[in-house]
Amino acid sequence: MEFAPEHDVPIPYMQRTRDYYLALGYGNPYRWAHFDDVPFTPLAKPLTQARVALITTAAPYQPGVGDQGPGAPYNAAAKFYKVYSDTTETVPDLRISHVGYDRKHTRAEDPNTWFPLAKLQQAVKSGRIGALAPRFHGAPTNRSHRTTVETDAPELLRRCREDGADVAILVPT
Amino acid sequence: MCHQTVSLIARHLEANGIPTVIMGCARDIVEHCGVPRFLFSDLPLGNSAGRPFDAESQAATLELALRVLESAPAARTTVQSPQRWPEDASWKLDYSNVARMTPEEIAEKRKEFDVVKAVARSKREGA
Repeated sequence: MEFAPEHDVPIPYMQRTRDYYLALGYGNPYRWAHFDDVPFTPLAKPLTQARVALITTAAPYQPGVGDQGPGAPYNAAAKFYKVYSDTTETVPDLRISHVGYDRKHTRAEDPNTWFPLAKLQQAVKSGRIGALAPRFHGAPTNRSHRTTVETDAPELLRRCREDGADVAILVPT
Repeated sequence: MCHQTVSLIARHLEANGIPTVIMGCARDIVEHCGVPRFLFSDLPLGNSAGRPFDAESQAATLELALRVLESAPAARTTVQSPQRWPEDASWKLDYSNVARMTPEEIAEKRKEFDVVKAVARSKREGA
C-alpha cells in the first residue's frame, strides 16, 4: 500500500499568504473572513426550469492599461472597483491579469478555465438548465470586507433580482 | 482574495433567498469563510472552471457544480472534483512559498509589491 505524497493536499493558501507577507516585512497578518453561521436556501425549482446567474471576478479587457495576458505579470492597473454587468448572449473578452492566480503553472490562455459562460450556454441548449440570466456580473476584488459586504454584495443581489435569477454560480479566479 | 470576495457574496445572496454554488480552487479560504455550496477543484489558481484547452474537463466541472447546487443537503457542503493537474503534485509546493525563495527573491518581491500597491491605490482613489 502506497500513500500519496504528504504535500499532495489542497494548498494552505491562508498560511502561505501569512508567511509570505511576514517574510516580505509586513507585520500585522491579514485577518480572513470567518463566520460560524452559514445561510442556506433550498432550490425552489429544478435546475431544468431555473434561470441561472453567473458572477465572475474576471475583468473586461481594457485597451491602454498595459499587458493583460495571456501570461501577463500582475497588473493592478487592470483592476475595477465597481460591479459591472454584460450580456450572456455572447462571450465577452475577460482577463485575469489583475488578480493573483498561479502564474508559474498556468498562463491564462483559455478563458473557459475561469469563466464558464460558453459551457453554460451549451447547458441551456441541452436543457440541463432552464435559462441563463440576461446578464453576467463582475465582482470587484480589491476591497475591504466591509465594502464587499455592504456595497458590492447588495448591488449584486439587486442585479440578480432584476434579472429574475433563481440561482447563482460564482467563479473566483 | 477572489475566493474570499465571492464567498462573502454567496453568503449574502443565499441569506436573501438565492441559492448559490461556488466553483473554486482555494479550499481553505472558502471553507474558513463558510459558504452554502462549494465545488473544489484541486488545480492551480486560475482554473476554477476546469483545465485549459480541455473541453471535457470544463464540461465535467460545470456538471459537478450543477449537481452540488441541486443536491447539497445542508450549508458548508464541499465536494472535491476528482480531476487532477497533469503530471505530479509538485506544483502545489510553489505558490507564494517563502520556504522556496532566496533572500534576494524576497527583497525583489517586496519591491514589486510596493509598486503594485501604489498603482492599485491611485486607481482606487480615482475610481
